[in-house]
Amino acid sequence: MKNFFRIARWEYMTRFRSRSFLFSTFILPMLFSLLITLPAFFLTYEEEVSTKLIGVVNLGERSLVTNLQKQLNKNFRLKNGTPEYVVMPVSVDNSPDYKKAHSELQTMQARMDSITQAYNAIKDLRVQYYNRRNLPNKNYLLQKTYDEMVETRELKDLIEIELETHQAQLDSVFNSEARRAADSLLFKQVLNAYLVIPEDIEDNSVIEYHTYTPGNLLEAERLHAVLNEIIIEARMANANINTRQISEWLEPVQLKKYQLRARGEQEWNFYVEFYGSIIGVVLLFMAIFTSGGFLFSSVLQEKTNRVIEVLLSYASSRQIMAGKIFGLGFLGLTQVLIWLGIAALFVFLNLFQAGQIPYLNWDNALYFLLYFCLGYLLYAAIFVSIGAVFSSEQEAQQINLVLRTLAILPVLLVFLLLKEPNSGIIQVLTYIPLLTPYFMIMRISQQGALALQADIYITTVILVVSIIGMVFVAAKIFRMGILMYGKKLNWKEIKLLLKTS
Amino acid sequence: MLEVKELRKAFNENQVLDSLSFRVKPGEIFSLLGPNGAGKTTTIRILMNILRADEGEILYNGEPRSKVSQRKFGYLPEERGLYQRATVLALLTYFGTLNNMSRHRAEIEAIRFLDRMGLVEYTEKMVNELSKGMQQKIQFIASTLHAPEILILDEPFAGLDPVNQIVLREIIRQYQEEGKIIILSTHQMDEVEKLSDHICLINQGRVILDGKMEEIKKQYREDAYYIEAEDDLGFLHEMEDIEILEEKNKSCKIAIKNMNGDFKKIISKLFSRATVKKFYMVEPNLHDIFIKLIQKDNSQASK
Repeated sequence: MKNFFRIARWEYMTRFRSRSFLFSTFILPMLFSLLITLPAFFLTYEEEVSTKLIGVVNLGERSLVTNLQKQLNKNFRLKNGTPEYVVMPVSVDNSPDYKKAHSELQTMQARMDSITQAYNAIKDLRVQYYNRRNLPNKNYLLQKTYDEMVETRELKDLIEIELETHQAQLDSVFNSEARRAADSLLFKQVLNAYLVIPEDIEDNSVIEYHTYTPGNLLEAERLHAVLNEIIIEARMANANINTRQISEWLEPVQLKKYQLRARGEQEWNFYVEFYGSIIGVVLLFMAIFTSGGFLFSSVLQEKTNRVIEVLLSYASSRQIMAGKIFGLGFLGLTQVLIWLGIAALFVFLNLFQAGQIPYLNWDNALYFLLYFCLGYLLYAAIFVSIGAVFSSEQEAQQINLVLRTLAILPVLLVFLLLKEPNSGIIQVLTYIPLLTPYFMIMRISQQGALALQADIYITTVILVVSIIGMVFVAAKIFRMGILMYGKKLNWKEIKLLLKTS
Repeated sequence: MLEVKELRKAFNENQVLDSLSFRVKPGEIFSLLGPNGAGKTTTIRILMNILRADEGEILYNGEPRSKVSQRKFGYLPEERGLYQRATVLALLTYFGTLNNMSRHRAEIEAIRFLDRMGLVEYTEKMVNELSKGMQQKIQFIASTLHAPEILILDEPFAGLDPVNQIVLREIIRQYQEEGKIIILSTHQMDEVEKLSDHICLINQGRVILDGKMEEIKKQYREDAYYIEAEDDLGFLHEMEDIEILEEKNKSCKIAIKNMNGDFKKIISKLFSRATVKKFYMVEPNLHDIFIKLIQKDNSQASK
């Protein structure tokens, strides 16, 4: 038993002073934080410099466009104060089809004007005739102008029908030509998007949104909200409701997001939640793999340089294995405590406010420690077995690479969770022992420990049971594996070994 | 007294030890000899409690091995290995404490040994800064730091220069004088001849020769003589009662067949025919005995 402590102490002390421990405790987390915050910084940076041009093919009332611009200006501004969105009515003035249709319409309009004039003149003349009492041939003149008037009116009706046809034709030419122009502007990336507002928007309620990036949900959502507002406003105005009344009614509702937590409700912040959970999971991964990696290389080195033989003559294989696992486990614990200490120091120095980051609390620190310990023990048993089975550094390097790649999988899977934290698949994945620690840390930081009480108990039991099983297997493999030099055990031999010993 | 009785050990189908027995008395330097794969390392591992025998037992002063404290044993494995990234003192102290020494005592003993080995100035050096020979000495210190009663040394001389071989030999002799049991396993027959008083030759997991060094030499003495002369020794072929074992131009190794016969006559005849420069009895060489016995054993086994 004493040798167990001596071995543990030795493993702890020799690694604690090593450069790689300092590196993975201080430098690596720093690099990692930089690495994930930099892209976020660039993302927001880019978003803020560029003003976006939104084209509009407006078939309805002019005022809609001005209102749209006004609303966008009111809601979305860049940091320097300039509007984030500029609305641009799409021009079709240069289109020959439109020009032709337009000039035809104008000619028709002119004819219409002149016939209206003529008609009015005849009407006026008739009024004059009618009012003159002693006009010679009055009845004849009235009869004659009446015929003229009927004739002119028929002509005018005809021209009016033709004018309407032309108007409709012009509208349809405008519709198609404006879309074509807008498409080409979108293609040249002059426009970020364009909208097509139909003529009968007040009844129709469909506005088309054209873009290259329909995935940009944020943008579409913003435009949707603003359009909704101005269309409703226009409809109200048409119903003769006064403007002040309208603006009062349309005062937008703000949604403040709160989340139920063990310590009362907390306001919810997407970025804090997102990065917080990821940092938590990656730190857990780093902690497990720093000590796990040390453990793996310790077993392997002792096997390759045959120190193990000396150790075995002084201590039992069980003592050696346990000493290593616990010594390096305490090393990992030290690392985690250093991180928690740094976090506490930051909070103390007000570098970030614990009040704003809800998961920075003592309960969650304890859960982090719990899942670190359980996760480490499980992975440690696996590392010990693998280290004992392989016999050369080279093979070990390869397997180490494979292990690390496999081990980052849970971290990647965690992104699933961001999308749908309550889905069934997440629940199932949480109960897979190798994934449990990562998923639980993620879920605790997202949902709060209170919502997960049952899962915390269940996963603790699952982990403890699998640790016991795995350690049992590892002890056997370790005992036999470490004395076999020069050759790697194959699966058949391992199976045999587990059966017989 | 260390007694090994009827040890049997098999790895899967392969019978590595087959009823192996021997005894070592205190103050004896016991050499375990044998070709590669004879079962030496397995025997040593069983002695060190690293492996368990399938059958048979090991007794130390009448007590079964499992009840004897591990601290009474010291072991220098054949494959050398030390933690490369530790200081010499830290490493020795660690191995000392694993044998239940106090940290303080382990340090004192370590420095005492380092001084004796002429390595005291390397106390705080990293192991990987040391030469291979120095590392080997460090490992020897590690195996004896806790003053074991039984010291098992697997190829202790390999890789040491002649001067250090002498240092090591002296230390081993000192342990012998202290009445400790020393078990050597080596392929260097000259070292065995110089050092050992009891040898045990094993082949294919069985003892094929076990006895005191002098007795073995006596037993395998061929009554051979070496002659070196100024003249040609061709006339020896004509002589009766003589067998020529090796012949060179002016030297010869002969065996006298019939010792009861005219030993004097042969000698005088020899000396009268040639001017003899050297004439002495050839002691059997352990190396030759080793090869002869192994070959014989293997040919018997193949029959």
